[in-house]
Amino acid sequence: MENGGYVGDSSPANKKAIAELRGVSKSFGDVLAASDLNLSISAGEFLSFLGPSGCGKTTALRMLAGFETPTEGEVLLDGEVVNTLDAHHRPVNMVFQQYALFPHMTVAQNIGYGLRQRRPRLPKAQIAEKVTKALEIVRLSDFEDRKIWEMSGGQQQRVALARAIINEPKLLLLDEPMAALDRKLRKEMQIELQDLQRQLGITFVLVTHDQEEALSMSDRICIMREGRIVQIGSPQELYDRPNSRYVAGFVGTSNFFSGNVTDQNGGLATILLDNGMSVQGTPGVELAEGQDVCISVRPEQMKLHRQSDGVKVEVHNRIFLGEHTEYLVNHETLGDFLVLSPRQSELNEGGFEVGDQARVSWDASAALILNPN
Amino acid sequence: MRIYAICVYLFLYIPIGVIALFSFNAGRHASQLQGFSTKWYGKALNNPFVMDALETSLMVAFASALFASVFGTMAAVALQGIKGPVRTAFDLLIYVAVMIPGIVIGIATLIGLVTVFDQLNPLIASIWPNGFEPPKLRMGMGSLIAAHTMFLMALVVIIVRARLAGMDRALTEASSDLYATPMGTFRQVTLPLIFPAILAGFLLSFTFSFDDFIIAFFVAGSETTLPIYVFSSIRRGVTPEINAIGTMVMGVSLLMLITAQMLLRRGGKKTK
Repeated sequence: MENGGYVGDSSPANKKAIAELRGVSKSFGDVLAASDLNLSISAGEFLSFLGPSGCGKTTALRMLAGFETPTEGEVLLDGEVVNTLDAHHRPVNMVFQQYALFPHMTVAQNIGYGLRQRRPRLPKAQIAEKVTKALEIVRLSDFEDRKIWEMSGGQQQRVALARAIINEPKLLLLDEPMAALDRKLRKEMQIELQDLQRQLGITFVLVTHDQEEALSMSDRICIMREGRIVQIGSPQELYDRPNSRYVAGFVGTSNFFSGNVTDQNGGLATILLDNGMSVQGTPGVELAEGQDVCISVRPEQMKLHRQSDGVKVEVHNRIFLGEHTEYLVNHETLGDFLVLSPRQSELNEGGFEVGDQARVSWDASAALILNPN
Repeated sequence: MRIYAICVYLFLYIPIGVIALFSFNAGRHASQLQGFSTKWYGKALNNPFVMDALETSLMVAFASALFASVFGTMAAVALQGIKGPVRTAFDLLIYVAVMIPGIVIGIATLIGLVTVFDQLNPLIASIWPNGFEPPKLRMGMGSLIAAHTMFLMALVVIIVRARLAGMDRALTEASSDLYATPMGTFRQVTLPLIFPAILAGFLLSFTFSFDDFIIAFFVAGSETTLPIYVFSSIRRGVTPEINAIGTMVMGVSLLMLITAQMLLRRGGKKTK
């Protein structure tokens, strides 16, 4: 992953915070849409809010944009509290989900809209020049006089992007910008967005429910659930060290087994699973004896083999994915789970067919002990 | 079923068709056709009473349509911004204003204004400097425009509200996100997008005011609008001249209604 090197210096401590949420809550009538959000966004980073619909991620974004006022807490931009500052006074721009392009204006008029609102007024020539440049950046140079409805979905999205970045905002907010694009176009736009972000150095805040999108583009991801932030971290951190079953299941896929803690020593803990089996795992959260927990093991950390150690399973399904083969296996009492087997080990030790008996084992270090929800 | 539908339409439109047909009658009786002629149109247009009434009607229609469009648009935009029981109450009042029979509006406005004028006129006279004739508030073009504006405004509110409701809320948000003030957003985004609806509202209001007889009959005072003139002439019998006036009024109204309809359709597509 290209931005792998980013992880270390993307932490808020090393860079100036450009936006902050401090204990922010928002309720609509009786509905609590966002609850006690604490987050610091550093200059130049690409941050994503990830979660299912209704988890409060859009509300968080709209509070940054100035479309919603927090019920409690403070929203800060560049060190200043902006809770009640109207959207049109905030140095922040947004790319809307359905783009919200003005249908009665041409492409160039849409893009220049923000600049035309500046007081004192900018000279017309300067606006035209900036519009031309913005059109170049989003590769729409010949489309300036087109009407909005003559543009395709992908082109409309570029117009929306150009309309926002031309103002050189402190924060660029993107509200599910790819939701309306087809899969292939989405991939292209993801790469383009990332390039654009690096090229311009603008801080991007993306809202998405698509984990793949968040994982591939973000420096940091903020996972949300039912109005709360569950975990914030780089994609790698979230994948390797999720702090809950929810995060482990949302970022990538994982196998879960529930049980409770019987013993802790050193870096490991012993868990008595619900089926009576006792296994060792690495605590991912603070544990107490007797506590209900859940063990998460990633499919690629599991090894499917014919040796005598591990749990006995039957292969129920096999999907060949090229460099990996995905097996759906069934254990008498643990139920179904997924195992990802690398091609190389299949070549060395032979693969498995549906119906084969086999064994699955994993290292105690790969079994992460988490809260059960 | 189809036969009934045809009968209903025939029942509705045959009288109108007959009026249009007889307006080209060469003879002077409204009951028998005696060849084709446009002389009654010429006669109507040269009749000073008709032209006076037409002028009054046009002025009233233009003024009340203008006021109704401006105030109606303002009300519609304001209503879009509020929620809850206040909005429900206003919505209800607006629909009531449209559905109340003209005769009720006419009588109510007449009684209301006469009462107010009776109170105000002595007051004005008392504060007026001696030796000058004090102005007297009375029923006339002003009261007619006011009464028309009142019920036409409700019509404009309904038309503009429909357009506003069909407009993506994200558009105004995008505008304010791009630093436009609320006034700037209204001028550059909302107004251009709802303008076809406002224009349609204006044309419909103009037509309704121009055609209105009932309200005008009560509140016009000594003024004579075209429908009032037609009504009073009919008492002396229906002449081809009346038919010609009727046909012209109908033609203009129809044209405006069609234009309004086209504006509403085309504008509707554009905002999507």
